[in-house]
Amino acid sequence: MSPRRLLPLLCLAAASALYSCADIAAPSRSNAYEWRRIVATPTGPDTLSFHWPQSRLPVRIWAEDTLNLPVHVQHGIDQWEAGFLYGEYRAVVVSDSSVADVIVTSGIAPKGGFSVTRLESFMAPECQGATDIELAASGHEILPPMRVYVDPRFDPSSPGVDGCMALTTTHELGHSLGIFAHSPNTDDIMYGDPVVTSLSPRDRATAELAYHTEPTLTIAPR
Amino acid sequence: MRATLALLVLAIAGGTPGLLAQVDYNARLGVTWATTLIRDDVINTIEVRQKLAPTLVLGAALPIAPLYRAGLELALATSGYRSKEAGATTVDLGTVRTGAVTLGLDGPISRGLRWRAGVGLLRYWPTEDRGIFLRGGTTRFLAGAGIDYRRPIMAQWDMMASLRYDFHRFTTAELNARGFSQSQGVQRIAATIGLARGRR
Repeated sequence: MSPRRLLPLLCLAAASALYSCADIAAPSRSNAYEWRRIVATPTGPDTLSFHWPQSRLPVRIWAEDTLNLPVHVQHGIDQWEAGFLYGEYRAVVVSDSSVADVIVTSGIAPKGGFSVTRLESFMAPECQGATDIELAASGHEILPPMRVYVDPRFDPSSPGVDGCMALTTTHELGHSLGIFAHSPNTDDIMYGDPVVTSLSPRDRATAELAYHTEPTLTIAPR
Repeated sequence: MRATLALLVLAIAGGTPGLLAQVDYNARLGVTWATTLIRDDVINTIEVRQKLAPTLVLGAALPIAPLYRAGLELALATSGYRSKEAGATTVDLGTVRTGAVTLGLDGPISRGLRWRAGVGLLRYWPTEDRGIFLRGGTTRFLAGAGIDYRRPIMAQWDMMASLRYDFHRFTTAELNARGFSQSQGVQRIAATIGLARGRR
């Protein structure tokens, strides 16, 4: 074998080794907002954080068949799934509420007791929403199903109500997937009184951080 | 060189009978292994990579000099791809198919053994537009090299075993939109075996 015959091959190998060794540069997620919920306990503040474990995916969501809720829920699922790069969150709409991990209904949330964490959102002026997450007595286990309430404040056929219901549903689903706090930025879907209709880069970065941080809460078997 | 390439494409695409008679064909099956597609840092390091991919390769070449040939090779592979986070479980992300077309030169090393080097395009086709492929697949430039071994087994047929190395730089429209900069160097190694028919 003549070394000259191998010269093209060796040149190509050397060039490729130089060219192909660099890595892609990941974006900074420093723009994420606080997603954990700080609650007062007898022994001091406690930080509650949660994300659905891979073993519980896809999350099963049931939506009441009223006020276009099934459509809004599917839209919300699509948006949040698209927020993740590595399959961290998936959800499906189910027809049987008895097997659901999350139940979405219209109406005003009932008052919760001591074991209920209420994540309220006031979507002025057309609608409002809330997500109730019930904790076990230990305080560190979520008892499914989570309950999401979305309520029109006026006649549902009034202008703007359907749009408000859509973005509020997406916002509340954000709570149900583990974003337990509100963004301070008005252009985020998780802002306390959201006006945007889709996730912002900050919403996505926050969701990614939530799903790659060890949670303090687990979820009980359904 | 351009004339040679034009002749080659014409012949392989069904050109003149004279040229067709000189074309060397081969078909091979094997597997392709690839390095990491993405390395990301979200608290911990996350790596996305393809599983070992069953591969079909179809090749054709024309002599351009007494010892050298120019050829086209089409390599199709399909495999799952998954993410792995340090200290966490592996997550299956779906299936992605790849198709690579390379234009190459090959020449002799020793009896039965030839080198090959080429450049081309590589296309990623995810079966679902989600995650890193949310905005669809991607097409990348590709360069590679390899070694072919042929051994006659019948009058006009050879057994052909090939080892290929190639590299490209990977990114997708979704990764760009998310603020990933530059691209990830991806190296692949394919081992295939099959049949070749043509001039010896």
